[in-house]
Amino acid sequence: MHYLVVILPLWLLYLLLTGNGEVSNLIVGLVLAVGAAALLRPLPRPIIWRRVPGALLAAVQYVGVLLWDLARSGIQVTRIVLSPKLSIEPGVVAIPSGCASELATALSAHAITVTPGEMVVEIDADGVMYTHCLRVDAAAEYVARAQTMRRDLLQRIFV
Amino acid sequence: MTTFLQIVAIVAVIAGTFFSLVGVVGYVRLPDVYTRLHATGKVGVFGGVLLLAAAVSGTSLSIGKGLVLIALLLIIGPVTSHAIASAAYRVGIPMVGQRNDLQRDGALAGQRLAGEQGQVQDG
Repeated sequence: MHYLVVILPLWLLYLLLTGNGEVSNLIVGLVLAVGAAALLRPLPRPIIWRRVPGALLAAVQYVGVLLWDLARSGIQVTRIVLSPKLSIEPGVVAIPSGCASELATALSAHAITVTPGEMVVEIDADGVMYTHCLRVDAAAEYVARAQTMRRDLLQRIFV
Repeated sequence: MTTFLQIVAIVAVIAGTFFSLVGVVGYVRLPDVYTRLHATGKVGVFGGVLLLAAAVSGTSLSIGKGLVLIALLLIIGPVTSHAIASAAYRVGIPMVGQRNDLQRDGALAGQRLAGEQGQVQDG
């Protein structure tokens, strides 16, 4: 049962890549996914099925936020780069991730790197993310707020 | 429907090319490694995602493959920026800018390859 978390995404990935809904292809994909899952370590803790719908919803919301951030990020950096004055004030700001697990911290760092004008340079042992910002003054407040929102989403995904 | 998809593809190609170009311009104009990574890492990925969207709607590339590629690009882009920035900091490449919490907190001081290098104002 624990393997389902591995098997289902692998199967889905196989089907997306082959783009073929025939029964034989479904079976081949399932066999490959089960085979790959058998080679992996089992997950450390069981799945709580009651929480799965909420976690999936949070995951979809998280990806949506990420895509929206990427688009805004592209436009914002474009404006900075193309403006004649090049009005940047770069610097490094420390942001506590507030996440318990390493995976959630890593995902937070990834999300921060996607958000406009910010990029995580280092994470120390306590989970403090040292973030390089294109505009230090504008970034500090916004980042803290966005991090709270992301942390809540991540906690719903990984409970 | 076909016409609509073609229009989407054309718009996405133009926008994707534009953002890729902006990534290059940013690489030339910005002052140091860290700020340049903002331009190449993010705007570049955005441009790539738009070009892939154009490929999905305008060519025979299946939507499943397109989605997987976009997802991979979204995961890999920020990770590479982070890896390059981290490596650059450890090697001791100077950073433009006033505020540097990394230096203030002395985080990773022992791990830096180059010795105690002060904050350099202009790269």
